[in-house]
Order: sequence, then structure tokens, then C-alpha cells
Amino acid sequence: MTNTIIMDDQLPTRPRVSVSAPSPSASAGTPQPIERPAPALHVGDLHAHYGDTHAVKGVTIDYAPNEVTAMIGPSGCGKSTVLRCLNRMHEEIAGAHVTGSVRLDETDIYGPEVDVVAVRRAIGMVFQKPNPFPTMSIYDNVAAGLKLNGVKGVDLDERVEQSLRGAGLWDEVSDRLRAPGIGLSGGQQQRLCIARTIAVQPDVILMDEPCSALDPIATLKVEELIAQLKTRFTIVIVTHNLQQAARVADSTAFFLLGELVEHASTDQMFTNPGDERTERYVTGRFG
Amino acid sequence: MTALTLASPRRRATDRLMRSLLAAGTLVALLPLGAIVGYLLSKGLGAWSWDFFTTDPTGNFLGDPGGIRSAIVGTVEMVALAAALSVPLGWGVALYLVEYGRQGRFAATVRYFVDVMTGVPSIVFGLFVYVTLVVSGLGGASFAGWKGSVALALLMLPVVTRSAEVVLRLVPDALREAALALGTPRWRVALKVVLPTALPGLVTGSLLAVARAAGETAPLLFTATIVNATSFSLADRTNSLPVQIYTDIGSPNDLLVQRAWGAALALVALILLTTLVARLFSRRSHLS
Amino acid sequence: MAAATRQQLAEELGHIEAQALGGLDLVVGQLDRTLEALETQDLDLAALVVADDDRIDGRYLEVHQALLSLLARQAPVAGDLRLVAALLHAMKDIERMGDQCVNIAKTIPLAGHEPPRSPEIVDCVLRMGAVAREEILQAKAAFAARDAVLAEDLVRRDRAVNALNREVFRRALDAGADEEAREWAMLQVMAARALERIGDHAVDIGEQTAFVVTGLFREFTDGSQPHVGEGA
Repeated sequence: MTNTIIMDDQLPTRPRVSVSAPSPSASAGTPQPIERPAPALHVGDLHAHYGDTHAVKGVTIDYAPNEVTAMIGPSGCGKSTVLRCLNRMHEEIAGAHVTGSVRLDETDIYGPEVDVVAVRRAIGMVFQKPNPFPTMSIYDNVAAGLKLNGVKGVDLDERVEQSLRGAGLWDEVSDRLRAPGIGLSGGQQQRLCIARTIAVQPDVILMDEPCSALDPIATLKVEELIAQLKTRFTIVIVTHNLQQAARVADSTAFFLLGELVEHASTDQMFTNPGDERTERYVTGRFG
Repeated sequence: MTALTLASPRRRATDRLMRSLLAAGTLVALLPLGAIVGYLLSKGLGAWSWDFFTTDPTGNFLGDPGGIRSAIVGTVEMVALAAALSVPLGWGVALYLVEYGRQGRFAATVRYFVDVMTGVPSIVFGLFVYVTLVVSGLGGASFAGWKGSVALALLMLPVVTRSAEVVLRLVPDALREAALALGTPRWRVALKVVLPTALPGLVTGSLLAVARAAGETAPLLFTATIVNATSFSLADRTNSLPVQIYTDIGSPNDLLVQRAWGAALALVALILLTTLVARLFSRRSHLS
Repeated sequence: MAAATRQQLAEELGHIEAQALGGLDLVVGQLDRTLEALETQDLDLAALVVADDDRIDGRYLEVHQALLSLLARQAPVAGDLRLVAALLHAMKDIERMGDQCVNIAKTIPLAGHEPPRSPEIVDCVLRMGAVAREEILQAKAAFAARDAVLAEDLVRRDRAVNALNREVFRRALDAGADEEAREWAMLQVMAARALERIGDHAVDIGEQTAFVVTGLFREFTDGSQPHVGEGA
């Protein structure tokens, strides 16, 4: 008496490959071709002070070219200060001073012969709260970096259009370039500021919590923009929003109390961070 | 249920009392103002006529006293020159104090002296210019319109500086940072970003200083004094409304006294006009 | 002192983990009943095992749904994320273990009511069952304690199961000439195979434990497993 027995599974052969952690050079999202090679930034033993307060304590970090590096950490950890040291904005604050080196490729921007103004043209910055110039039209705002500095020999119309396209704003404002810059919505204003920054054709773009003042949709638009911009610039972004860092950055650096705790690929940071403090911060376990 | 009930009668009574007290206080404060305006109108309006504004004072004790054309022209000229001297200088000092001198000791000293100057009586400025420019005979004729302008400018300078400093401070730092981050030197940021942004407020402040200077008598008594003929050169004695009023009001001739009232009304009207223009300008401000 | 943050996430994760590991207890219960039914040829008990598998399937769905909901709402990262992935994986293993018990239970009525042809084979099978049971409990303990060393030790235990499996296979080959004897022997081989799979699933759970702890996913055994058909 034979009975047909229906066995459940056909046992699959188990894979023999050993899967280890993803390689550190993995990029966020699908890799895009580099349009314009940008330089790397190397920071060596950076210390920054506000008067007596020692805000940044011996930070050494490399920002890879044509990649987005995010700096995360709790309030007061020094990440914004580090950012401002990268384009020498920190020294504009009364009583502030910096030691250490910040090299754009091979040149130390804190070198004795270096012109601060030139540094800031090579390393641009986008701020947390959109700050278009209120007296200027959209066109003038984008051209401001060129006009204010008396740059000659540039076709302004072309540069303005290029920059607005680069910021994903051209389609929305091409018919009202002479309208005041402050008439735009918050998200548009921030993209205007980005257009203004890239019009000067810097090598590096620094972003200080660029989306904190924006609504979710405007935030996502700016994040898309960042993904496109990295094919032409090296980007360093400070953010409080861990999910944003996870979405946008190729590598992430975690700061705590003025020190760099860990710097790894974003993948690594959010799946298997090396330092206990990073793990606690990233999973949100405080107190 | 207690949160939703109407205010108790006692509270309503207190509310009414306070309201009436405040209203009464406001009326008391406005009363002198109303009285002045009323008095001016009643006494001075009668003097106004076409001739009043288009003829110079004749200087005759008897007969036709003439109008106040030279006084109006003189006031406008001297105040304009004073503004041309003090406004750029005042804005410059304010720019320095705000852009470069937030914390320095030098800036603090400058600020202190500017404050002191706002309190100096106007007659002191007049005497100062009298001694340095008139008595010494600097620049030609002893009394001259432009010397009057200098005195007025000294008077206006601290007012312009103070109001300009306040307005410049209102310009958000974010704008300065944005310009600096674009690789703009500080002086350019001050001139091309901060100044244009603050312009409406700056102009308003300056016009108010102008309005004040237009009404000052003391500085002009010792510097430009008085003259009958309209002059456009300011190189010699120049008439002005305050001085004209001062001279006329003490006269036994009733017509002259009336002319003085008319001139006072004209001066107030001029100041009112200036203030209105200042108001219109401030509406275009980017800093509200 | 300030309250700990992400309490809700921690509590939810803890609850889901308890549910998942509780699934292992259900499997142990099923295995015990299966082995008893095998030993005593108890058809009613066997039928109960088959019916009761619904509970394990239900537990799987519960845990699966809870994990999806947690992923959507709480956006876990790092250690929390690895735990979620490990629990998803382990729950699948648990569900499969339940199914394997059902497979064994199904062979019992088919084996007939005669006394077993080879007590040695039955003995092997029951011993395999005992070791498999130990493996399941060890896997549970290792996961709960996040003990990677204990987890890796499962490999050693599992070797015993594999060895016994090969023995059953060998003995079955000499089962006898008549068809009924051969049929019976085949069924024993199938039961043994099912127990061997249960052991493998326990080792899988051990690998997940190591993953949660180290962040690296690694097969515990190098080299190939001897397949059925390759002698040893």
C-alpha cells in the first residue's frame, strides 16, 4: 500500500559565500558619473576657541572629493564650529581663534599668505535659515556673488541661468527673474541661496542644517539637489536629522563634546557602528 | 465651570476705571499740543498770503513789512547744506560702530561722546562756530550762511549717528554672513549689502534730524544772523525762519508780530511735511 | 534624572523578541509530542501535532506584522535594525521547524501498526530528536543572552545530529528485502532528515545571534555539508 507523501520543502542549497560588512567606499544610492572633479578637504588637528571656551578639540578628518560627508552629533558637540572653520567664517566672531590646518588639496587655507576672501570663494556656504538679500531681485541675488566682488568677463545671464538650473529653480522662476528674492516660499528661497552659492563656482559647498527651516517636501527637493550637486562639488553637511544623514551622505562623522568620535561610511554608521557612543546616539538612547 | 464665566463685576469696574484714567492722561498730554496748533493757526493763518511767500522782508518799520521768502529759502538752503555735511558723516560713523566696533574700546569711547553730543545745548554749537569761524574770520565774511550750516550740521551729527546705528544694528547678521560667505570683503559687505538694506530706516532717521535742525534758532543767531534779501550763495549773511521769527516777535509793530506768527506756522508746516516724507519712506523698509 | 529616550522602541522590541523566542518554546513542545508519538506510535498525538502547527504559523504572522509595523513607525538603525533583521530571519526558521515536526508526524500513520522493523533505527531517530531539542533550547538561550560563543557551540551539537542522520541512512539501506520493510525504512529516513533540518535551523538562529552581536553575518561551518547520497 503505497501512499504518496507530499513533503513540504525541497531543501534549498545553502549559500557558501561569507558575507562581511559592506566596503567603506560604498556610495549612497546609485553612483552617478562625476561631472567636475572637486578637490578633497583635509583637516589636521583642528582646535577652535570662542574666547576661553574650547569648542573643537583636535579634530582630524578627511572629506572625500565629490562625495557628501555628513557631520552629526548632539547640540554643542562642535560640528557647526568645525564647519565654520572650513571656510574661515569662525574667525569673524569676536574673540574666536583657530589652530591647526585645513588643506584644500595641498594648500592650507590658514596659511600666512592665503587671502580669506579667496578661500570663501572656493569654499561656499549655505545657511540654516534661507537668507536672500532683501533689496535684490532673484536675478541679482544669484549674481550677487559675482557683482559684489566685481568679477568681470562673465556672462551674467548665462551664469544666472546655469546656477538656477543647477539649483532646480529655473523652471519655477524663469518668468520672474526681476521679482524680489524674498517673495519666494521658504524652500524656494533656500534653493535660491544654493543657486547664489554655486554661481561663484566654488570647489566645496558647506551646508549648515540647510533643511531645518523647511517643510518636508521642500526638504526632499533640497536632498535631491544635493545628490546631483555632488557630481560637481565636494559637499559637507551638518545635520540634526539622522534620517537625512542616512539618506543623503556617503560617509558620516559623529562628534561629541568637541571631538570626532567616529567617521565611517553611512552604511556602516547606521547598521554596525564601531563606537559604543555612536551606537547610543544613532539609536537614540540618551539618559 | 469657573473658567468660562464672565468677568466679575468688580473686575469690569476696575477695567473701566483704568481705561478712563488712561484716556484722561492721553487727553492731558495732547492738550498742550492742541493748544499750540490752535494758537498758531488762529494767529498765523491770517498772515498767509501769496505775497507772504513770494516777497522778501522789506526791513521797514512802517509801511509794508514784506513776506518771508528769504527766510524760507534761507532755511531750506542752510538745512540742506547741513544735511549734506552731517548725514554722510553720521552714516559713516554709524557704519564703523556697527560693522567694526562691536566690542572695541575705541568704538565704545566714540559711542560715549556721540551720546554726550546729543545733549549739548544748541547754543553751544552756535557759540563754538562763532568763535572758530566767525570771529577768526575764516572763510571770508564774518557771518555767513554756510557757517550756520556748519553749526546745524554739528547739531545734527549725533542725532543722525545714533539713529543710523540703531537701524544698522537691525540688519540681521544672517545677511552679513551670507555676503561674507560669498567671499566679499567686509567693507564691501557694509557698503553694498548692509547700507542698501537699512536705507529706508537711515533716511527716516536723517529726515527727523533735518526736521529738528530746521527749527533751531540759537546756532543761527551767531553764525548766519539775519538779512532781508534772499541770497543763494550762503557766503554771506543768510536769513532763516527761526531767526526771522525771533526778530519779528519782539517788535511793537503788530504787522510784524503777525508775520512772525505766520512764519512760525510756515516753519511748523515745513517740519510736518518733512516728517510725513520720512514716514512714507520708512514704510518701504526691509527691516520690519 | 531625565527619562530614557526611545522607551517605546525598547519596549516594543523587547515584547516582539519575547514573542519570537516564545515560538521556540512552542517548537520544543511540538517536538516533544512528535517524538513521543513516534516512540509509542500514537496516531492521535500525531494528529494533534499536525493541527497545532497553526499556532506556530500564527505566531510567525504576529511577529512578522509587529516587526513591519516597528520598521515603519520607529525607523530603527544600527543594533536595533540588526535585531529586527535577525528576528525576521529567526522567526522563519522557527516556522520551518514547526513544519518539520508536522512532516515527521505525518510519517507515523503511514508507518503502519506493526512493531518497528529495526529498533536500532528508531533508537537513532529518538536520540537525534533529543539532541535537536537541546539545540533548540541552546539557540534560545544564546539569542536571549546575546552570547555569540554559545551560539557558535551549536555547530558542535549539530554534528552529532548529522552523524546520527548518516547512521540512520546506512541502517536503512540494510532494511530488508520486502517492500514493506523498505517502505518503513524510507519513512524513518525522512523523519531523520526532518530532524536534521531542525538542527540546521537551530544553527541558523545561532548565526543570527552572532550577527546581532558582531554585525557580521558568517556561516558557522566552512566547507560543504555532506548531502544525502554522499556517504561518510
